[in-house]
Amino acid sequence: MSALRFHWMMPKGGEVSMKTAQETSRVLTTKKESPAAMPDVQGWTRFARAAEESGIESVLLSFSRYEPDTLLIACAMGRATPALKYIVAYRSGLIQPAPFVQQINTLSGLIGGRVALNIVAGSSTAEQRGYGDYLEHDDRYARAEEFLRICNSFWSEQTVAFDGKYYRVDGGRLHAPFQSPDRTAPEIYVSGHSPQAQALALSQGSAWLRLIDTPEKLAPIVAQVRERGVEVCLRLCVICRETRDEAVAAAMAMLPNDDTEKEERGILNRSDSQTLKQALAAADERGWMNRNLYAGLVPYYGSSSITLIGSPDELAEQFLEYKKIGVTQFIIAGWPKLDEMLIFGREVLPRVRQMEGS
Amino acid sequence: MIRFHWMLPKAFEVRPGQTPREAARYRVESIQLDSPSPKPDMDGWLEFARTAEDAGIESVLISFSRYEPEPFMVACAMGQETARLKYIVAYRSGLMGPTSFVQQINTLSALIDGRVAINIVAGSSAAEQRGYGDFLPHDERYARAEEFLAAANAFWREGHDVDFDGRYYKLEKGTLHTPFVAPGRRAPEIYVSGHSEQSMRLAATQGTCWLRAADTPESLRPPVARMRGLGIDVCLRACVICRPTREEALRVAQSLLPDDRRETTIALKNDSRMYAESGAKDEWLNRTLWTGLVPHYGPVWTTLVGTPEELAGAFLAYKEIGVNQFILSGWPEVDEVSIFGRDVIPRVRDAERRQVA
Repeated sequence: MSALRFHWMMPKGGEVSMKTAQETSRVLTTKKESPAAMPDVQGWTRFARAAEESGIESVLLSFSRYEPDTLLIACAMGRATPALKYIVAYRSGLIQPAPFVQQINTLSGLIGGRVALNIVAGSSTAEQRGYGDYLEHDDRYARAEEFLRICNSFWSEQTVAFDGKYYRVDGGRLHAPFQSPDRTAPEIYVSGHSPQAQALALSQGSAWLRLIDTPEKLAPIVAQVRERGVEVCLRLCVICRETRDEAVAAAMAMLPNDDTEKEERGILNRSDSQTLKQALAAADERGWMNRNLYAGLVPYYGSSSITLIGSPDELAEQFLEYKKIGVTQFIIAGWPKLDEMLIFGREVLPRVRQMEGS
Repeated sequence: MIRFHWMLPKAFEVRPGQTPREAARYRVESIQLDSPSPKPDMDGWLEFARTAEDAGIESVLISFSRYEPEPFMVACAMGQETARLKYIVAYRSGLMGPTSFVQQINTLSALIDGRVAINIVAGSSAAEQRGYGDFLPHDERYARAEEFLAAANAFWREGHDVDFDGRYYKLEKGTLHTPFVAPGRRAPEIYVSGHSEQSMRLAATQGTCWLRAADTPESLRPPVARMRGLGIDVCLRACVICRPTREEALRVAQSLLPDDRRETTIALKNDSRMYAESGAKDEWLNRTLWTGLVPHYGPVWTTLVGTPEELAGAFLAYKEIGVNQFILSGWPEVDEVSIFGRDVIPRVRDAERRQVA
């Protein structure tokens, strides 16, 4: 079995120099005056170099109206770093597939093929309307399926013809190829918990990206996806300290005031995303999902803050548990992202590699 | 002062020791499938960009087509590695929604100190547009481009809660937190290209500049006066062949004609008024304006040919009728832009200073 692949969330603009976890909360970074609105090439370059040194393969750039555009950030950062890969989140429905492929292909040529896609069908109806997209949840997946199908045709054929419900292409041709040392098309991560998201990952993606859950809960569903030749990548947060007690204390110190909870809860409730609803339910029902997996931060830090908490040994063992059930990749975040990544690279990753080798 | 811009060369067009003819052929043949030009060429582009900066060129235009790399990405990479040069990125409406378009442009502006402008093309070839998923007829493409730019301009004015209820675009409370960032500007300059009445109207309502192929000052005088009267700049696309003597310049011009005098790539742009008009005309429209290449490759190959003195005079004649910007190219680009910066721009600037004084 090949080695587990570890990716990290790219910090938001200004986040690398933020001191507390609270500052990085979604509630604050979606305010108009937040530095998250601006590119932070200096902070990101510092982060990217640390990621490369920590053994992190890629960073995921998230897409929203509160942040700069992911493709252009990947271009700027990719030119400034030699090894790190960039997983760019993008929503279908915002651009025609052909010009999107032309952007991705050009980007690949400019940064040595170090680009992968994370296709999101869309997270909030209100936000999508601001982008001119009025489709409902299920239709958005049907459209994303057509979108990726056309993209994949451009990556496998010289001339593309397509006549679908949402897109039509006649004699589509792009001369700019996808350029990479070992691929003719980018890896495609499809995220979401709904059956439609899973189906889309299976039909058009190379990996299904979803929130972490316990190995027991995930085992059957991961097996299904792997059988179809698609990888499974888990999104999670990590808090690693020398002892479990210290790690738990660090997690508890992050619980902030009630207002933040109310606002974040509001965001989660207003969303029509299955992922977000399930994460909130997990937090409300349980808090601790097993000895190391904690959902208690979700009401404050959002759906992707289900967190593996523990000592280096415990965490390394946990990652191996996921490997046993067929998970191959992780996209991780921590608070602060840079510090937690350095701990991860120093303490956890060497243990994982050692256990993988033995 | 007249503002001079240049075309970004095609990828791998910049090569040492090329003749003008070899450079021109490379460009003509760049649409063939075996051309290396679809892959980004940072080394060649940077060599050109540094030469252009030294020559006094303000911006480069990065063209958009299915034969080339994508201009926003190229501008982003180039902008990171140059200090002064600006990038005019060509884009076709109908390929992207206005919100995501503005998000990309704003991000780009923040990454390269605002050194970005936009060239909106309504679309030049029906076949190419269909390959991009766009099936709208020519005339409607202008109506859509008008909506596209109106929505984009609303984002640059308001930034948040943009409502738009058009025929082609509908937005409800559109919000983008990343602003357009540039010294002294809140929105990019917008060049609208075309020769049709619709393109002029679009430039006037939503743009900052009307961009078209060069013609004689006499025939351009009325439309230029009209646009300037509306507060809109006028920018001309032209090629340049400048040599110490007129005879040398003419020899270079003649060397560019195709062996097969029936060769033409104009049919590729079957949907463009600008290209439709590029048929039979006199080869010399005046002493310096040569259209010998236009029947073969279209109006953007309209060429100013002459000595440094003659060319400086030609630019000043355009300035007199109100033209205030030019986007030029030459063969090979690096050589011609160096000659232009050394021999033509100083003469133009001298004359402009004398006019002021």
